[in-house]
Amino acid sequence: MGKNQPGYFGEFGGRYAPEILTEALEELESTYQKLKKSKKFKKELEFYLSNYVGRPSPLTYAERLTKHWGGARIWLKREDLNHTGAHKINNAIGQALIAKFMGKKRIIAETGAGQHGLATATVGAMFGMETVVYMGAVDVERQNLNAKKIEMLGAKILPVTAGEATLKEATSEAMRDWALNVSTTHYIVGSAIGPHPFPTIVRDLQAVIGKEARSQFKKHNHKLPHAIVACVGGGSNAIGMFHAFLKDKNVAIYGAEAGGLGPKPGEHSATLTYGKTGFLHGTKTLIIQDEAGQIVPAHSVSAGLDYPGVGPEHAFLSQTKRVDYRMVTDEQALDCFLEVTRVEGIIPALETAHAFHVARDVAKDLGKKKDLIICLSGRGDKDVTEVLRLLGERSK
Amino acid sequence: MSKIKDLFESGKIKSAFIPYFTLGDPNYNDSIEFGKTILDNGADILELGIPFSDPVADGPVIQRAVARSLKNKFSFDEIFRVTKEIHEHKKDTPLVYLTYFNPIFHCGILKFLDQAKEAGVVGLVIPDLPFDTKESETLFQELRKRDMDLIHLVTPASTKKRIEALKKTSTGFIYYVTSFGVTGERREFSVDLQERIRFLKDTIQLPICAGFGISTPDQAGQISGYADGIIIGSAIQRIIEENGHDFPKAKQSLAEYIAKIRVAIP
Repeated sequence: MGKNQPGYFGEFGGRYAPEILTEALEELESTYQKLKKSKKFKKELEFYLSNYVGRPSPLTYAERLTKHWGGARIWLKREDLNHTGAHKINNAIGQALIAKFMGKKRIIAETGAGQHGLATATVGAMFGMETVVYMGAVDVERQNLNAKKIEMLGAKILPVTAGEATLKEATSEAMRDWALNVSTTHYIVGSAIGPHPFPTIVRDLQAVIGKEARSQFKKHNHKLPHAIVACVGGGSNAIGMFHAFLKDKNVAIYGAEAGGLGPKPGEHSATLTYGKTGFLHGTKTLIIQDEAGQIVPAHSVSAGLDYPGVGPEHAFLSQTKRVDYRMVTDEQALDCFLEVTRVEGIIPALETAHAFHVARDVAKDLGKKKDLIICLSGRGDKDVTEVLRLLGERSK
Repeated sequence: MSKIKDLFESGKIKSAFIPYFTLGDPNYNDSIEFGKTILDNGADILELGIPFSDPVADGPVIQRAVARSLKNKFSFDEIFRVTKEIHEHKKDTPLVYLTYFNPIFHCGILKFLDQAKEAGVVGLVIPDLPFDTKESETLFQELRKRDMDLIHLVTPASTKKRIEALKKTSTGFIYYVTSFGVTGERREFSVDLQERIRFLKDTIQLPICAGFGISTPDQAGQISGYADGIIIGSAIQRIIEENGHDFPKAKQSLAEYIAKIRVAIP
């Protein structure tokens, strides 16, 4: 596999996984190439997306937020209204169908905030597949509601205690499980990361977000928006939102990544700002690492953004400057979480609160009579306990 | 000619014993002594692990060893210093590094290879760098210029087509992964292990050494009957884990274990 071959986005991407997984990755790639062209697969996917997930998700004009911020008109692409409460279900359904087609009866997943674990457990229940979810022990605590739901759906949660006990370790553990059970198991990677073909498959399955948003906005306004914004951890909701707009040169694209507590290593997950090119979890991408190439633990108030790598396509979009990636601190995200909740009556996920913060600045810069769409990647029910805890700490 | 090729062609050994341990566990200076002890008690090739924070191909024992090692300040200068001392203790025994690609990439491929060679290393095993990547091709060419080997892993899931394809960029020996999954001690191996190794020997004109899961003298004796070498990692690392706090005991236990395996291999 070379630089200009499939699976690369500029110099990023590729397949850097242990040899034991290569055969499964090749099988996945060839199966996906076939299914992508198959009318039957497309029809089946569309059926589940509309009858189970609830697509298309609405594009809501946020009138109160627009007035409150006093800049561009704000539109929200409502992935929070999907079944299970986030964009993650789009990918989980698609990959479960691919797994079914390959005859795999067991699915595994990694999860940070629990939304991907919840989506995988949900499709596991619906398709009757044995499901195992790897989740960092720290995340099991801070995202306890999702952890409980995953178990209620009949999936097994395996808490990972190694290292920082968050998403990075959960991902490593899921890869190890896959290596052991590769003939019977499909690993539903939750973000646009991992070895080829995962970043492409996840991007394609999430691209429905941007396609819908683009056509919904156009239908209503007979033009394209001036800007779009999404939050980026691994970056699946963002790449899904961005993809349909990448060729629209007049649409400015912004990504919000986790600036955490500050710029010191270990205090943030701002991969696109501080990351250097490297190899992690099967892909070549930007990674937060020290001068010797050891991965530095990431931090974010939001478990879903707490990852030291990023999808390779985002690394490429950052390098080519098609997307403007900006950092948002924990405090800024928390403030925006409360602001959006009180002003618009929507409780966003803490991940999405990062996108709202960038959107607020962009909306002010754009000024009135301009339009901006925010991908509301998921709802914040899962974060309520954590937010209350953080507010308690803040008031001390 | 590479030192590894020399060793296998010398006719001195029927099946090579290749022990592995992670450098820096519990500290770098103890690693030097562990390396010397292993060499003194009968390693034909010694595999030294350069710790990486995210060892996805390794099981719990080696993961814990890596975590203990990284509690010490990691630097390549330290890695090369320790390696050099181990090498100087017994210069005839080939040393091989096992590590993941990210640290090598960060060090800079050419700089890393020059310093590794200088420290006495003659080959590399990189579990997350498949042979069909641009980086692997570059590495292979640079290694050849330095008479060093790139040792590829072949697994029970590797297809015939891939095995044929990796022949072009493989030297030293083939690291045959005995079972699915990650490193770690196992009670049983895949039933067709012997046939797979025979097939590989016929297909690739290189020695086939088996690893992943071998821990007991019985297993070592049995598998070395048909493999050109056996690689043992987790069982050795477990001895260091259980006794690392008591240096003399750790050294003695290592010496006894290595000697027992040595005797079991023809």
